[in-house]
Amino acid sequence: MNMDDADMNTALMVDGNAIAGQLLDVFGRDMTMAVARCAGCAREAEMGALMAFTHSPGVVLRCPACEAAIARIVETPTAIYIEARGATFLRLPR
Amino acid sequence: MAQPVLEWQAGTVTAIRPETRQTKSFTLVLPKWMAHRAGMHYDVRLTAPDGYQTERSYSIASAPERVGTIELTVERIADGEVSPYLHDVVVTGDQIEVRGPIGGYFVWEAAMGGPLLLIGGGSGVVPLMAMLRHRAAQHATMPARILYSSRTPEDVIYRQELDALAVGDRGFEAFFTFTRQAPPGWTGYRRRIDAAMLGEVIKPFGTHARIYVCGPTLLVEAVATALVQMSVPIEQIRTERFGPTGV
Repeated sequence: MNMDDADMNTALMVDGNAIAGQLLDVFGRDMTMAVARCAGCAREAEMGALMAFTHSPGVVLRCPACEAAIARIVETPTAIYIEARGATFLRLPR
Repeated sequence: MAQPVLEWQAGTVTAIRPETRQTKSFTLVLPKWMAHRAGMHYDVRLTAPDGYQTERSYSIASAPERVGTIELTVERIADGEVSPYLHDVVVTGDQIEVRGPIGGYFVWEAAMGGPLLLIGGGSGVVPLMAMLRHRAAQHATMPARILYSSRTPEDVIYRQELDALAVGDRGFEAFFTFTRQAPPGWTGYRRRIDAAMLGEVIKPFGTHARIYVCGPTLLVEAVATALVQMSVPIEQIRTERFGPTGV
């Protein structure tokens, strides 16, 4: 396979569905239907539909419309860090 | 909607069925079986003697109507951590640690209606098969089509079942495309899924179809982009990307 870095990043990308189990551990519920509004472009998308980059120390979730980073999740042996500056809000269905 | 807590449980493997050279279906009896929605997955966790743990997600292939058991169809990834163990080590009677069903986004239920257009590449067909099995179990009549891309005829999972469904159900049609080698005398598609192919398959449904796309990321990207360019409303398209496995 002959790819530049951008292509390889795209090929390695999955989506929020792929980390549903990890999100379940963190939030204690299914988060794939929770909606995130992108702080950059205001697009609302289910977390299952966010672009997910998991081949790094941690997970980066990006907006499917503008590709801005919505959230980063890093797990260490003692804590879980969630940085979600890229989301205006998360809306969890009852 | 209250959500039950999902715990890890030990499922017992009661059957292993080879599907293709690279895929096998594992039937597991679960002590705490819970009805899933077609398209959901289970996490499988392996623990090494030294305590090292690793998890992977596998789509449920069986319909929720099959009570008490689930079937997971697993592609063997040569340099993987979990799938080679499942393929090469696990035998009937073994126990496997699983948690699920997980994921409420990439799901279809008969009550959601149709017409239903399923587009899959490689083992991306697995959650789509769960949807078709669910549709059949419900005797649902909304039109459904699957467009399924494989490298070669030997790589097609569920070929007989898909063909049988297409024969017995006037509302369902299966379209296959082969990207490396087609069967002898094949008159159907023999290329990667592209806009022209999508246009032909979606034609009777227009832009009203509920569309589920699952497979390697580059296939899903190409299909989703083409569908949006065809003015299919984005709310009707659900995607699940498997990562870099090429088809």
